[in-house]
Amino acid sequence: MKYLMSFLLLASFGLLPAQNTDTYPDALTIIEKVDANLVSDSQITESEMVIHGRRNSRTVRSIGYTMGNEKSFSEYLAPAKEKGTKMLKLEDRLWIYSPDTDRSIQLSGHMLKQSVMGSDLSYEDMMEDRKLTEMYDAEVTGSETIDGRATWILELNAKVEDVAYDSRKMWVDQERFVPLKEELYAKSGQLLKRVTMTDVAKIDGRWFPKKMNYKDMLKSGEGTDFIVLSIQFNPDIPEHIFSKASLRM
Amino acid sequence: MIQFLLKGILRDKSRSLLPITVVSIGVALTVMLSAYMEGAFGDMIDQNARFETGHVKVMTQAYAENKEQLPNDLAILGVDELTESLRSDFPQMEWVNRIKFGGLIDVPDENGETKGQGPAAGIALDLFGANSREAQRLNIESSLVTGTMPTKKGEALIGHDFSEKLNVKIGDEVTFFGTTMNSSMTFQNFIVSGTIRFGAASMDRGALIVDISDAQHMLDMEDASGELLGFSKLNVYDDDQTQEMAAQFNAKHTKDDDEFSPIMLPLREQNNLGPMLDYSNMMSGIFIFIFVFAMSIVLWNTGLLGGLRRYQEFGIRLALGEAKGQIYRSLLMEAVLIGIIGSIVGTAIGLAVAYYLQVVGIDISGYMDNSTMLMPSVLRAKVTPGLFFIGFIPGLLAMVFGNMLSGIGIYKRETARLFKELEV
Amino acid sequence: MNLAFQLAYKNLMGAGLRTWLNVGVLSFSFIIIIFYNGLIDGWNEQAKRDSIAWEYGYGQLLNSEYDPFDPFTILDGHGTLKEEQRKNLTPILIRQASVYPDGRMLSVALKGVDVNQSTLELPIQALKESTTAIPAMIGENMANAAKLKEGDEVLLRWRDKGGTFDAANITIVKVFDTDVPTVDNGQIWIPIQKLWDMTGLQNHATLFVANEQFQATNIPGWKFQSQEELLSDLTDIIAMKKVSGSIMYLLLLAIALLAIFDTQVLSVFRRQKEIGTYIALGMTRSQVVGLFTVEGSMYSLLAMVVGSIVGIPLFTYLAKTGIAFPAASQDIGIALADRIYPVFGIQLVLTTILLVVVAATIVSFLPAKKISKMNPVLALKGKLQ
Repeated sequence: MKYLMSFLLLASFGLLPAQNTDTYPDALTIIEKVDANLVSDSQITESEMVIHGRRNSRTVRSIGYTMGNEKSFSEYLAPAKEKGTKMLKLEDRLWIYSPDTDRSIQLSGHMLKQSVMGSDLSYEDMMEDRKLTEMYDAEVTGSETIDGRATWILELNAKVEDVAYDSRKMWVDQERFVPLKEELYAKSGQLLKRVTMTDVAKIDGRWFPKKMNYKDMLKSGEGTDFIVLSIQFNPDIPEHIFSKASLRM
Repeated sequence: MIQFLLKGILRDKSRSLLPITVVSIGVALTVMLSAYMEGAFGDMIDQNARFETGHVKVMTQAYAENKEQLPNDLAILGVDELTESLRSDFPQMEWVNRIKFGGLIDVPDENGETKGQGPAAGIALDLFGANSREAQRLNIESSLVTGTMPTKKGEALIGHDFSEKLNVKIGDEVTFFGTTMNSSMTFQNFIVSGTIRFGAASMDRGALIVDISDAQHMLDMEDASGELLGFSKLNVYDDDQTQEMAAQFNAKHTKDDDEFSPIMLPLREQNNLGPMLDYSNMMSGIFIFIFVFAMSIVLWNTGLLGGLRRYQEFGIRLALGEAKGQIYRSLLMEAVLIGIIGSIVGTAIGLAVAYYLQVVGIDISGYMDNSTMLMPSVLRAKVTPGLFFIGFIPGLLAMVFGNMLSGIGIYKRETARLFKELEV
Repeated sequence: MNLAFQLAYKNLMGAGLRTWLNVGVLSFSFIIIIFYNGLIDGWNEQAKRDSIAWEYGYGQLLNSEYDPFDPFTILDGHGTLKEEQRKNLTPILIRQASVYPDGRMLSVALKGVDVNQSTLELPIQALKESTTAIPAMIGENMANAAKLKEGDEVLLRWRDKGGTFDAANITIVKVFDTDVPTVDNGQIWIPIQKLWDMTGLQNHATLFVANEQFQATNIPGWKFQSQEELLSDLTDIIAMKKVSGSIMYLLLLAIALLAIFDTQVLSVFRRQKEIGTYIALGMTRSQVVGLFTVEGSMYSLLAMVVGSIVGIPLFTYLAKTGIAFPAASQDIGIALADRIYPVFGIQLVLTTILLVVVAATIVSFLPAKKISKMNPVLALKGKLQ
């Protein structure tokens, strides 16, 4: 799930404005300011994922290391069942390692289109590492108030064919430049997923949403929460972390 | 009188041995055939019971609603206690846990890297229990194509087609990758102890059969199970009994406001089997009626012959001055005795064979090219309470009726003809 | 031998009721044997016919990347054929999709079928006539599982060829009733032209269904499965049913033979004087044994006659109107119709006749054998031996 984190955070990196209007600020400016808050060359994040099942909720804790867009590594810390499970993503390849079986399983091709653990996230969703600007044209289309915070509404429309979501909408805090909500749409315009960011706090001089709820809009249920426990921006991460050898360590 | 006749029957072999033998054989055939018909017409239902529905099945209400999706997150918790209470409440049934699960089978190459993968259709059942009849119930052992049954934890059977596609050998290790009931990731290595063929190609690919304890461990389902199936210890589905049982159980355990409270469904209420059940009962009923009727004709004939062959004796008895009515009555009494003896012997033999066919069955796998799990390669009979008396209809009634008819001849006897016959 | 037949006939006719009882039971088993086998053959033919009509056609040309039993291969297992290669073939494109009835997610195989095809019996007319944006049809099992009915709209989510999600409401314009569960369970059928537009996979197909005129040629990237290969599972099941049926009618036959046996034993016992007379008149013992055996086996001949009188009209009627069966959901992929028309082949009838006659002759011979050990003088006197 760490990848989802990275993906959503990285997704905003390097957006280019599609057009300027007189009434709204430049989309590029907004996104640059968002990136300044959320994006760094490398990150180490300890986070919790709360899965709301039909019957109970449960929490999984993990630590994740990311370098740029293409490399990431994460390790589950709790609960006991998952402790020691590791995931390595290098470009479009994904390995999952489990200590119980001492096997690393590679997921590739059609497998990546399958959903992760019966959720509505596909592995592919988690692995998208292209910049949003490579995939989407962006423009600011309005403003709205969310939880008392004034936001700009950014609309992103796909300009390439092989993206999972044809268009997206982002609500960015006008003062802190943190996205507070994102919606993902199908080609037909049908809303598929909604991501809500809350608990915005200042960390290392950056505004950062510490809680994120990811919800499949077609299914009933409460969705999944991601909670950031701690985050380091631009730490030094040794290169060997992002190798298959580190899966077994 | 009866004692006198009994002596007569026992001492005169021609009067006793043949009719009793014929009645016994006839009754035994009727009983066997009826049992076999009950079994044959029920085999589709039986198949459903063994693979899917049990004679009764307990699930949580939420699981029952979505059971096509194998929703193990909605499984029964505290299943050990529930199973125990079922065992004491309904000791006539055998209670077993089963878990069906989906996921991925990953086959490693020599470096432990992924060589190939396929979707897994997992079934977990009690393979190791000393008294477990699950493997037999699902026809697993006879459907093995290569290898042997799993005998210890960490062993599994996989689909034969899948093993061929990825060149998996007996003794190789494969990894199951899936989701626990709490929807977290889970991995488990299994040693392939054998490969299996279901007979439905759709299931042959991803089949993964493991012991329930392995599945419970790997799916975080300790003390949980997706399905809790009940099978009658006699191998016989009793519609009324199961419905009563379900009503009793549901009154005690099922709560409207708790979708995770268990619900017991009799076979009739699953997989649209209700009409099928009525139909097979009706058909076997019709067939049994026809057979009993046919057998009655045969034994009536025997009775008729039995009477006819003794005309000479009756002639002598008449000549000695015995009253016609008395001879007639003694003839009928004899028929009743023969009928009873024959029916008891026949029913005993028939039931013994039927019971054997119910428990052991006739293995016809030799007649089929491919033995598979989904095709019952063992034909079974079904012993029902009706079988205990059904043989008496042809054995006793028809026999006596036949004798009654032939005995009428006694009254028609002319004294003149009698004496002519006595000349011999 | 001719004499034996005449005598046997007269003896049997003379015995009246007893003979007809035996004949009745034997002809009854004769009818049941033919009936049961006819029923199984009828089922076999129906299941094959339905499987061919609904699913298999005259064979299928599958994309070689596609494995019908591995859903993961659906994604890449499709391709196109050149115009001239598509002759006599009906394209079917399969895509993975999800539907969301009442907030539940159900994974389905979304199947596109040519609405102008005539190879398969799918009720495409409903799709063709519908004016809704995306008309869809589903089988009854699917309708039950998804709790959908005709006229319902349900949200469908799929991916186009680039993997981009798309979602729209589809309208269930037809819930069809089929005996072939493999075109029903977990599937939604829509016009292939629609599916091509929805996914951008113009002219692509996962598989092609052949019609009768199709000649299988080797096309690279595709593999052909003949009708026989596709039907092999079914053939196995039918074979099993036949064995199971044969046990039943062998038991029934045993009952009938028991009656003949019983009669024969008694005949030999009661007709000693007659036997003695035959021998006194110069017949050899084996001739007498032959006479009695013929008499017994003549039951079977008479049974044929009676069986034909009763059976021919009965079987003709059944073959025409069929026998009703109730529907039950079987997930093992066998086509079982709610009405089966038995098929009574000439081979079946002849085999049954042979079986009954041979069996009747054997049980007639066994008691008659005793005659050969008889002392003719005592027999003539009628003394019990």
